[in-house]
Amino acid sequence: MKLVRAFIRPEKEQEVVLALEGAGFPALTKMSVMGRGKQKGLRVGDIVYEELPKVLLLIVVKDEDVSKVESVILEHARTGNIGDGKIFVSPVEKSITIRTGEVEL
Amino acid sequence: MKEIWAIIRREKYAETKRALDKVGCGAMSVHSVWGRGKQGGFIMSEAESELALYATSAPKLVPTPSYLVAEGATITKPVVYVPKKLLVMVLPDDKVEKAIEAIIEVNRTGHYGDGKIFVLPVEDAITIRTGERREEALTGG
Repeated sequence: MKLVRAFIRPEKEQEVVLALEGAGFPALTKMSVMGRGKQKGLRVGDIVYEELPKVLLLIVVKDEDVSKVESVILEHARTGNIGDGKIFVSPVEKSITIRTGEVEL
Repeated sequence: MKEIWAIIRREKYAETKRALDKVGCGAMSVHSVWGRGKQGGFIMSEAESELALYATSAPKLVPTPSYLVAEGATITKPVVYVPKKLLVMVLPDDKVEKAIEAIIEVNRTGHYGDGKIFVLPVEDAITIRTGERREEALTGG
């Protein structure tokens, strides 16, 4: 199992979520976060935005589905401009459904 | 060391915290998150979903446009997000099972939406104040 963390543009959230749902991944958790990338925020003239709002999507999927989820996010979150976000994938050892105690996704 | 992510019902948060305190796993970060599981969010009656359309605080129901539906995938009904609490804890290996049991005991109602627990490996932990590393960082005073 893998945990996919995707930092995406807030305005792209709905499209990405709907596309994930369309690809068969309805389960996710989302958080509003503030952050910056290696460009250290955004400068517009004299105004500097040190941190920019992003949406963090947390999706736990089976190993074989990771590339599918990645490609869906890439396809729908990409605008080609700086600030499209990042995807991180980490290992998950165990997943438990509280209702049933199942140790599977 | 393991990182435990517990996504639980908001109304069970206080009780869960007390239960975790009792087994000595009181240290945690808490986030308010929105989410949904494989049931696709609420299992709502028609009336409730009508209501959600007009409630300003509820996220709007948006049907998935057909061009976003992958081949072979099935979508049964539009979904909304459910507010949840996300507890993140880093625990030494021997406390992991105890914490999981405590969370399950408090949170299991038998209905959809009880939540999920994920266990992730952690490479290192550091207490900023003292500079302690690994297990010491979790158990040290």
